[in-house]
Amino acid sequence: MLKITNLETTYKDVILALRGISLQVPSSKIVTLLGANGAGKTTTINTVSGIRKSLELKIEDGTIEFNGEIINEKEPSEVVSRGILQVPEGRRVFAELTVEENLIIGSYSLSNKRKFVQNMDTVVGYFPILKERRRQPAGYLSGGEQQMLVIGRALMAEPKLIMMDEPSLGLAPILVREIFRIIKRINAAEDVAILLVEQNASVALSIAHYGYVLENGRIVMDGPSEVLRQDRDIREFYLGLTEVGTKKSFREVKHYKRRKRWLS
Amino acid sequence: MEKIIEIVFSGFYTGAIYALIALGFVLIFKSTGILNFAQGELCMIGAFICYNFATLFNWPYLLSFMTAVAIGVLVGVLIDILIFRRMVGEPIYSTIMMTIGLASILTSVTGLIWGHDFFSIRSPFMGRTTALAGMVFSRAALWTLGVSIVLFALFILFFRKARLGVALRGTAEDADAAGLMGINVKKMHMVAWALGSFVAVVAGIFLAEQSFVYSGMRHTGIKAMSAAILGGLDSIGGAIIGGFVVGIVESFAASYLSGLEIGSFHFGDVKDVIAFAIMIVVLMIRPYGIFGKEKVERV
Repeated sequence: MLKITNLETTYKDVILALRGISLQVPSSKIVTLLGANGAGKTTTINTVSGIRKSLELKIEDGTIEFNGEIINEKEPSEVVSRGILQVPEGRRVFAELTVEENLIIGSYSLSNKRKFVQNMDTVVGYFPILKERRRQPAGYLSGGEQQMLVIGRALMAEPKLIMMDEPSLGLAPILVREIFRIIKRINAAEDVAILLVEQNASVALSIAHYGYVLENGRIVMDGPSEVLRQDRDIREFYLGLTEVGTKKSFREVKHYKRRKRWLS
Repeated sequence: MEKIIEIVFSGFYTGAIYALIALGFVLIFKSTGILNFAQGELCMIGAFICYNFATLFNWPYLLSFMTAVAIGVLVGVLIDILIFRRMVGEPIYSTIMMTIGLASILTSVTGLIWGHDFFSIRSPFMGRTTALAGMVFSRAALWTLGVSIVLFALFILFFRKARLGVALRGTAEDADAAGLMGINVKKMHMVAWALGSFVAVVAGIFLAEQSFVYSGMRHTGIKAMSAAILGGLDSIGGAIIGGFVVGIVESFAASYLSGLEIGSFHFGDVKDVIAFAIMIVVLMIRPYGIFGKEKVERV
């Protein structure tokens, strides 16, 4: 469904943030994009979303295709109208607006206004807490509730693909597990594909069907998540596990650094 | 007592006009981040257009009013498309300089078309009064107050209930996130300019009713800016209340302070100074205004 081919993006005209990446998100699958800080994960989805101008990003080469249509030069609102929604990093709720108004904005791209009530029911079905907090300014919600709100806000638009940027950021482990469980349920029940950008590799690989590893603007490894989970490098560098599969103890950390086998 | 009521009433009358102009400042500033110093000039243009139709073309008053408003909105949209669409995200001093430049262009163009003279709009309210509870009110004042209060109510409803209004508020808060939700940010900026010039033109016509149509009426824009700053530049309700407060304070100052002599000191026309005095005091003690959000910077 989403097909990125040899995408090269520069930041501020001089920094090559993406050095020709290719990835695919098939319909109704969860695909995860792993990588450390500054690897280019957020740049990838911002490039797809089309908010290039304010972030000073520019596509130098390559194509972004969605259902066969090239969407390289589309404006953010045009990308959304094709069914690609982004859940931005760091829970960007509209803090001064109430929860309900946030959801109204989520449904803004729908031409049929009557769908609002119906979609609202769907969202509240996943996140019952949002119904209780309907009239409160979104800025007063807790971190977990805000994360639920931004996911719900994206769902209001009846997306075909949701790109989630680090939904686990800054949340307690128990909340992370709950949110990821809901993401999995949404993926199955709403028939929506999810591109999951994460640093928390273990929880991302636990729900994803397929994964890509991004380093320094290049995709260095990809495969089904079961395969990635077994890979020695992924285990060492992303899951923090040793050969035996137990949690790594820092007492036994070797004094030399294991080299990555891929060239980045 | 009657004098007080009279003063308060005339304060509300002027205040309504300030509030309309201040609302224009806030609408444009909140949505696009541009502090539009040409707001007073938009009022002036609106008044001149209305004068053109009502007095020169002899059109019915209401029709001239509507036409002036429509043309004013068009001017606002054109200003956005031709100039400020390209300036979003630029530093605030360059956009402010551009609005100041725009202001002098608008003034010159108005002078070229209509000349630098005093005119008046032929209206059904001219010099007419209504007696209410033993007091006499000018029709123009009642009309101004009535229309402005209806407009304020409509605006508040619009921003609370209408999808477009909610989208405008969302865009004002976080334009990038709004774009990610499928809101066309450029269109929202255009709507803000349209609404901002809409209220400016209405205010301009009311202002002309109070005095004349002349190029000096643009200075009311700066007075209204002090109302907007008093209320908080990012608060719609604040602009309305700020406008009325400045109007009432001005009205009291005009009756009690103007011409007052304390010792050898003689107060001249204090009325025109008081708005700026308020602005300076507010900027010193509460720069974000009464209802504005205090910007907390985390480092």
